[in-house]
Amino acid sequence: MDLLGLGSKVDIDFLLDPQGQRKQIEVKLDDNTNKRILQYIYYDGEDVGGTVQIKLKKNSKVEHQGIRLEFIGQIEMLNDRSTVHEFINLSKLLAFPGELTENTSIDFHFPNVEKPYESYIGINVKLRYFLRLTIIRRFTNTVCERDICVQQLSQYPEINNSIKMEVGIEDCLHIEFEYNKSKYHLKDVIVGKIYFLLVRIKIKHMEIAILKKESTGSGPNIYAETETIAKYEIMDGAPVRGESIPIRLFLGGYDLTPTMKDVQRKFSVRYFLNLVLVDEEERRYFKQQEIVLWRKQEKVKQKNSAKQYAHFEPPNPAIKPEDSATGISGSENSPVYGPSSSGNNSDSTSD
Amino acid sequence: MSMQKAVDNNRSSNAGLSMDNQEKLLADALQNVRQHAFAMKRVLDQQSVMEGLKHAANMLGELRTSLLSPKNYYELHVVVVEELHHLELYLTDEFEHGRGSHDLYEVVQYAGNIVPRLYLLITIGHVYIRANELPRREVLRDLVEMCRGVQHPLRGLFLRNYLLQCVKSLLPDTEEENQEASKTGTILDSLDFILLNFSEMNKLWVRMQYQGHTRDLQRREQERRELRILVGTNLVRLSELECVNVERYKTIVLPKIMEQVVSCRDSIAQEYLMECIIQVFPDEYHLNTLNEFLKACRELSASVNIRNILISLIDRLTAYSTRDGSQQNIPENIQLFDIFSEQIAEVVKSRINMPPEDIVALQSALLNLSLKCYRDQFEYGNKVLENTRKIFDNIALDTQVQTGTPAAKELVKMLKIPIDCYDILDVLKLNHYKLVLQLLSYRERHTVCMYIINSILDKETIIPTAEQVTQLFELLLTLIIDQTDSALETSRQTITNEDFVEEQNLVARLYNNFQAPNDPDQQYHIIKICQDTFKNGGLERMRFTYPPIIMQAYALTFRYKNIREQDEKWEKKCQKLFQLCNQLINTLTKLETNDLPLRLYLQGALAASEIGSENAETIAYEFFSQAYTLYEEQAGDTRAQSASLTLLIGTLEKVTCFAEENHSTLRQSLTQAATRLVKRPDQVRTLLLCTHLFWSAQRLNESTQKSEQVHDNEKVLACLKKATKLTTQIMDQSVQVQLYNELLNTYIYFFNQNLPDIDITLLNSLIEKLQNEMSKISSNENDEFIRNQIQKTFDYLRQQSQLEKFQGLQINN
Repeated sequence: MDLLGLGSKVDIDFLLDPQGQRKQIEVKLDDNTNKRILQYIYYDGEDVGGTVQIKLKKNSKVEHQGIRLEFIGQIEMLNDRSTVHEFINLSKLLAFPGELTENTSIDFHFPNVEKPYESYIGINVKLRYFLRLTIIRRFTNTVCERDICVQQLSQYPEINNSIKMEVGIEDCLHIEFEYNKSKYHLKDVIVGKIYFLLVRIKIKHMEIAILKKESTGSGPNIYAETETIAKYEIMDGAPVRGESIPIRLFLGGYDLTPTMKDVQRKFSVRYFLNLVLVDEEERRYFKQQEIVLWRKQEKVKQKNSAKQYAHFEPPNPAIKPEDSATGISGSENSPVYGPSSSGNNSDSTSD
Repeated sequence: MSMQKAVDNNRSSNAGLSMDNQEKLLADALQNVRQHAFAMKRVLDQQSVMEGLKHAANMLGELRTSLLSPKNYYELHVVVVEELHHLELYLTDEFEHGRGSHDLYEVVQYAGNIVPRLYLLITIGHVYIRANELPRREVLRDLVEMCRGVQHPLRGLFLRNYLLQCVKSLLPDTEEENQEASKTGTILDSLDFILLNFSEMNKLWVRMQYQGHTRDLQRREQERRELRILVGTNLVRLSELECVNVERYKTIVLPKIMEQVVSCRDSIAQEYLMECIIQVFPDEYHLNTLNEFLKACRELSASVNIRNILISLIDRLTAYSTRDGSQQNIPENIQLFDIFSEQIAEVVKSRINMPPEDIVALQSALLNLSLKCYRDQFEYGNKVLENTRKIFDNIALDTQVQTGTPAAKELVKMLKIPIDCYDILDVLKLNHYKLVLQLLSYRERHTVCMYIINSILDKETIIPTAEQVTQLFELLLTLIIDQTDSALETSRQTITNEDFVEEQNLVARLYNNFQAPNDPDQQYHIIKICQDTFKNGGLERMRFTYPPIIMQAYALTFRYKNIREQDEKWEKKCQKLFQLCNQLINTLTKLETNDLPLRLYLQGALAASEIGSENAETIAYEFFSQAYTLYEEQAGDTRAQSASLTLLIGTLEKVTCFAEENHSTLRQSLTQAATRLVKRPDQVRTLLLCTHLFWSAQRLNESTQKSEQVHDNEKVLACLKKATKLTTQIMDQSVQVQLYNELLNTYIYFFNQNLPDIDITLLNSLIEKLQNEMSKISSNENDEFIRNQIQKTFDYLRQQSQLEKFQGLQINN
């Protein structure tokens, strides 16, 4: 847990939550290993305080030019380690130059720290907040960092329209789909339905996938990564005209973050619902629709179990991204084609 | 507004279901199911619900297969559901001990594949409803809605069947919601649930018809028939709900079902479901929704066999109305017959191409209904028959239904119905019956007529009036006279044709059922009518039909004699009857054989003699002389001649009404005839018989008007001597011995009768002669019979030798 400085003669530890009241979260430590560590969760504007403990090795003393503590928020481009962009750096001098002769504890406090973004570990980018203690020495400084996790809570969106759309391939397939909202919080449920207006292909099944698209960089150096977070079969077999297929997808069980747009002009993380119909010849017909994810303040009584058991059936590994084909976007929220207003319910039992 | 399309290069070529390795596929799937099930049970034993669910989902994954035939999929489904039951029991148990998890209904919805997900959801829903964990009404609604996600017909049908199976005991069946628990739902929720499930299942079922290659159509239809029970279970469930009453059935259930049935436009589904409705719901419901049901029938697809559906309904209601032997089950305000009659007419009208046999079958069912439900109202049955006739007249007037066609067969069936449920006298009241019968060609008419006769004979129905006999004959005309449309068959209508013989024997037997018990005059009418009818039937039929008339006529004379006190004209009537018989027998003399008329004449002579009316002698003599003439004409066949002569002799011996003059003429003629026979043994035997004509035969003493025995000793002896002499001339020794024996027997008879000139000495000489002759013949097997006869004679004599009368009898052997 502790990162030790070079030629370390000291052990440094941060006590951030002596009362044990702060929530912790498991965070993936590194892309290469599957190790997870616990991090404390902080919110925007919250104080960051605690105690730094410096333990000396036996019978040693440390001379220093001062001890400094920084609170840093930074964005790291993982494909280009050199580019680190700090957007926050608060600094405090904890001790004037002198000599440490015994184990020392120093309290610190950053009041009302602005933490404008959510912590994020992506494929090409990492947004992290951490405390860094530096014992300034003549040759090599002793540095110790401690990451914290910042979650960005959002208000209920003022406008949250449903997504309704009619899409299709001429004379082949026409469907109308509806998702009850366009903005979902992370523990939300997507409810919707697919209404088949015309079916001339032999559909084998239909699934809905949650895609996460992470784009980093700008201009010519844009890196885009698409990751399939969830793949969820919503229909088995071939429907006929007039069928209406329900959708209900609980989000709580998946590893999702809020939507992040253009964070520090460095990166964006956006989510899409991808409706995919597969025909008997394994041709895939799909339609992607962006949804906005946001973090809602959790209720006091937390229902953790859903999260815990969500993967009792492991989600399908991400398959080949499907955005290689060109798509033409549909007319979102068209009042004419909304399923609720469609007057062509010829089949009386469709509902 | 367009979807994006991407082609996956790893397109797996889906080689269709291979039928060969079905068994292997099933075995593999079952193997997997068992493994997962085992793992599931093991972790459940360790209280690990989540792990259990995971294994259950894996097990249910086997139900995602598209490779199995419906039958094998069913096998798999049964096993999976059984294993799933363990999970359900485990979870139920957890809740009973207060340990149940509350979020499983959500948790299972993370399953990525829809089929396992929905099976689990249903299972959890089931457990949660029972544990009152979630409101029943909402869970039911949710489950039946979510099942829409499975659109694959086979998988969808089985999934929904599982749903139906799970909620069986959970469907709310109350008028009011339970106040204490929340949202328990009412009967209306149950109806919504089942009706929705039903229509979804039916749609899936119908859809199977259109999937796959047309060359497999037959197999597919077969498979669909195997699966129909899955759909039908919905209707069974509906019928089990106690809160469904006639009113609800009429306003909610039936209209909804019918809407689905009619709109699916699939003949297999329509046929099955209509049949299913008829069978699963109670009779009262059907009675109250007849119009609705029948109206829907008209809207069914043209290829639906509407006939079976309607017949099924009619039969069911017919059975209902006649249950417990009463006809009170049908409420008075429901005019069953009228409704069916009208609706069937409408159905027939709406289906231009309905084959005639189907129309007839419908009319048959209607006829059955009218006869059974309205037993006493003949006009209903009559109306049906009239309509049937009209339908055919409308197609083509006065043409017959071609023989062997389905329509003809149906008509035959129809015509049998009244015969089966009525006796013939009631059938005769259906005056359109005959008209329908006439629609048929010869062969079918023949079948029906035979059926009628057999029925009358079996039921021993008595037909008491001449009028009814006339009507009956009108029906049976096919058997009674030659038919214009049976040209082919006429040549075969002779005594040599077994079928014809059987047929005419039946007609003749029928005659015995024409009985006017207390009214001889009526009986006389019947006889006249029979004569009038049968005389058109040709000689070949008369051979069979006349004898019973004649015998009946003779019998009638006896009846007249019995009531001679009340009927002073009885003698005249008898006279008429005898004249009639004479005339009839005379007709029969045209036959190739004289035997029959001869016997009938003799019978007449006997009858006249018995009646003993004023002119009995004249009549008897006439009859007897006719018989004798026939005998005389009977040249050629010596055996027949001797047989006939025996008959004549026997009859004369019994007739008592002849005065000496006639009697002597006859007995001498017969004696002479005996000697004129060709064969010696015949001569001997008939002569021996003739002896009785001179002994025990009776003649009328004209002075006393009493009959007396002839007792002409000399003639008897003359006959005996003649016979003895003829016997000695016989060459064949065994025959001769036989005749000696017979001779001895006759002598013994007359010895017993105390005829003078026959004494013990004579007998002894005969016995000696016989014994001598007997010793000469070889003892081969043929003679065994003769030896036995002789032995019997000797046994008798030995017995008698004790008596005083037989003193001096010498028998030594």
